Amino acid sequence: MSTAPEAAAPQRSSSSRLPKNTRGAIQEYALVGVVAVILIAGAIIEPGSFLTSDNMLNVLRQASVVGVIAIGMTFVIATGGIDLSVGSMVAAASVVGGQFADSGSAMFVLGALGMGILLGSVNAGAIAYGKVVPFIATLAMFTMARGLALWISDKQPKSIFDLEFVRWFGNGEVIGIPSAAVVFVAVTIIGWLLLNRTRYGRYVVAVGGNREAARIAGINVPRIVFSVYVLAGLCVGIAAVLLSGRLSSASPIVGNLYELDAIAAVVIGGTSLAGGRATIVGTFLGVITFALIFNLLTLMDLAVEIQQVTKGLIILAAVLIQRRER
Amino acid sequence: MSAAATAPAAQATRPVLEVRGLVKHYPGAKALDGVDFDVRPGEVHCLIGPNGAGKSTLIKCVSGIVEPTAGEVLVSGEPLPVGEPSASLDRGVATIYQELDLVEDLRVYESIFLGHEPRRGLLLDRARMREEARKLLERLDHPNIPVDAKVGTLRPAAQQVVSIARALSHDARLLIMDEPSAILDAGEVDTLFDVVRRLTAEGVGVIYISHRLDEVPRIGDRVTVLSDGRTVASGLPADTPRDTLVEKMVGRRVEQLFPERPVPRDEVVLEVEGLCRAPDVKPISFQVRAGEVLGIGGLVGAGRTELLRLIYGLDKPDAGEVRVDGRRLQPGRPGASIAAGLGFAPEDRKSQGLLLDWNLTRNVSLADLGRYTRHVLLDRAAERRDAAEQLRELRTVPDDPDRIVRELSGGNQQKVVLARWLLRECRVLLLDEPTRGVDVGAKTEIYRVITDLAKAGLAVVVVSSEMSELVGLCSRILVMREGELVAEVDGASATELELLRHAVAPTDSDPVLEENA
Repeated sequence: MSTAPEAAAPQRSSSSRLPKNTRGAIQEYALVGVVAVILIAGAIIEPGSFLTSDNMLNVLRQASVVGVIAIGMTFVIATGGIDLSVGSMVAAASVVGGQFADSGSAMFVLGALGMGILLGSVNAGAIAYGKVVPFIATLAMFTMARGLALWISDKQPKSIFDLEFVRWFGNGEVIGIPSAAVVFVAVTIIGWLLLNRTRYGRYVVAVGGNREAARIAGINVPRIVFSVYVLAGLCVGIAAVLLSGRLSSASPIVGNLYELDAIAAVVIGGTSLAGGRATIVGTFLGVITFALIFNLLTLMDLAVEIQQVTKGLIILAAVLIQRRER
Repeated sequence: MSAAATAPAAQATRPVLEVRGLVKHYPGAKALDGVDFDVRPGEVHCLIGPNGAGKSTLIKCVSGIVEPTAGEVLVSGEPLPVGEPSASLDRGVATIYQELDLVEDLRVYESIFLGHEPRRGLLLDRARMREEARKLLERLDHPNIPVDAKVGTLRPAAQQVVSIARALSHDARLLIMDEPSAILDAGEVDTLFDVVRRLTAEGVGVIYISHRLDEVPRIGDRVTVLSDGRTVASGLPADTPRDTLVEKMVGRRVEQLFPERPVPRDEVVLEVEGLCRAPDVKPISFQVRAGEVLGIGGLVGAGRTELLRLIYGLDKPDAGEVRVDGRRLQPGRPGASIAAGLGFAPEDRKSQGLLLDWNLTRNVSLADLGRYTRHVLLDRAAERRDAAEQLRELRTVPDDPDRIVRELSGGNQQKVVLARWLLRECRVLLLDEPTRGVDVGAKTEIYRVITDLAKAGLAVVVVSSEMSELVGLCSRILVMREGELVAEVDGASATELELLRHAVAPTDSDPVLEENA
């Protein structure tokens, strides 16, 4: 927390009409501080290789797949739900896209998005109308989607090297910026607008904050709950396109533990697991924080196991800070 | 256990509980404002009073859950350490709450010893638990309750006996029973009374809280009346005439609290026809006119809140319909009700009405965001401006639309809920206990707002447990009892006494609930 005040001060003065409340906002700024500290530390530890534009763009590209998923996850968690199935769903969406690979890139994209939305809708139906607890419903989908991916693909990755448009999403550039990063930033901006500037976003947070009050205010609660899991599925579809493009293949074994990465980013960003408080900027910064640390530790040649321990410590610290603010 | 137990002679003369000058203030409200009474060993002391009189707060103070602002609670002559429920348990004070706080999946003997299980080494001493549970139930003359049965499979009365056995397992010398008869039928109440008499024969003192005045002479030795947080009569003999008690409960007249009664117009806005949902609401029909403030009175549990929820569409009715301006509402769809012009301020603002961590603007606009949607995005400036205007008109303090609702007092939070429906330009307002948890000054404000709204042509339905409120505010008052409309009274000529008489069960040979709902 010691980094918060310094980080918060310039932000606050720039926006005088900021609501005095939002703990989420405070945490966003705390994360700005964390990101700054990592950048400075990285520049000192690995001069010449960490804080370079090439490396930073690389970080953004690496962050993009989980990042897009985390934006969708933010909406789910805002309602007080959770989606454990996103990692498996990425594989299923990728594989289904691969089934249409012979018909061209557009069909691949449609297939991947369609599968993401379809599986998301199954989650959504079970949770919103079947009244299954989100943890259980998406745990079931976690195993089902992985099974489907392996089954449909016959356990074999399929090369999509010919699909240049899909590969462009993974490896291409737009005026020097990785296209995957552009997609991630675009999804973040749309997510931010949706959450903060539309009626729909207001309803999502209201449902998470107080379901009964939302219902009494006339909000169709099951419909909102349904929609966030479909949205998560759509984000999974987009992530599947980015990932397949980068790997130049549609593989049934990708996406392992993506759900944990996404949830961790959302939570350290300041969105409350209990629902009712959500921040897209926080999620974005959470994703970037993890990507920077991963990148720095890799540059330092530290082993994967040390990276895992570090990641765990960060999650724990972030949640403890949230506790204390409460 | 303590000095008192080893000196029975001293115990016999000294009250097991003495409450002196007890005061409890919550922010913005005085829950208790001077309570004095005592309970002698072996006595059943009845505690009566209208809703909101402070009975629950008193129980919480006596059982050590909340800390009194001032005054003393002496248990067997010793002051009770505050804020320590276990300390009062240790001193032999046990409470049986209205909603039985038993875990349904536990067995009877497990429930009785929950939290203080006898152990042998690290393991539970099940044999001893069973044996002692059996003894306790025998002591209560209920050896027929199987100690291995799951609590959830027992009838409510038997569950209550288990609760009492649990209290006894703590060596209770003072037992507080909060409306124990509310969930029992007539035969079960007799059983309960037998159990209570057995306890008092052993020297246990009992505080018996009830809404049913008829129970006072049947079970009580003395009775204390609580009203507006004060003991208006303490330690009266239990055979005090019922009407005297009712008059004491109604207490001081409320002066000039209410604005002039609005005059209803001819046009009928809300029609309710044959609306029912088992078991809470039997078929009910009535109409409300524009400019009318219709009151619905009755005791807690009479089905008033359930009726409002049916009208508003939060619950689906078994039969019947609701019409607004002659158009039938889709049942079970609050969204449709709102579109037709209904607004609802629920009983529990905090858990049902508001998003406490949101600012005022967002709480006010929540039901009407469509109005501010311009090309997909929200026009937040217009939203904030309109919310501020509504809040100002209701004289909300503070009316700063960026403030967080949690920081407001109860009365002003209620205004935020009202502002939401005014922004929506609703035609019918359903208000459930609109002044609960609101202090007297803010009450007057809310009465003024309600009256102004009616004058402006809204139809207002007010559910309240405070009879004085209904009498002072409403043009017409319906009284519910056990899910039925039992009376319709003209507001201008109604008296609290009259409403209360309609609301409690008729006095006959067996004055308890005629049927188990």
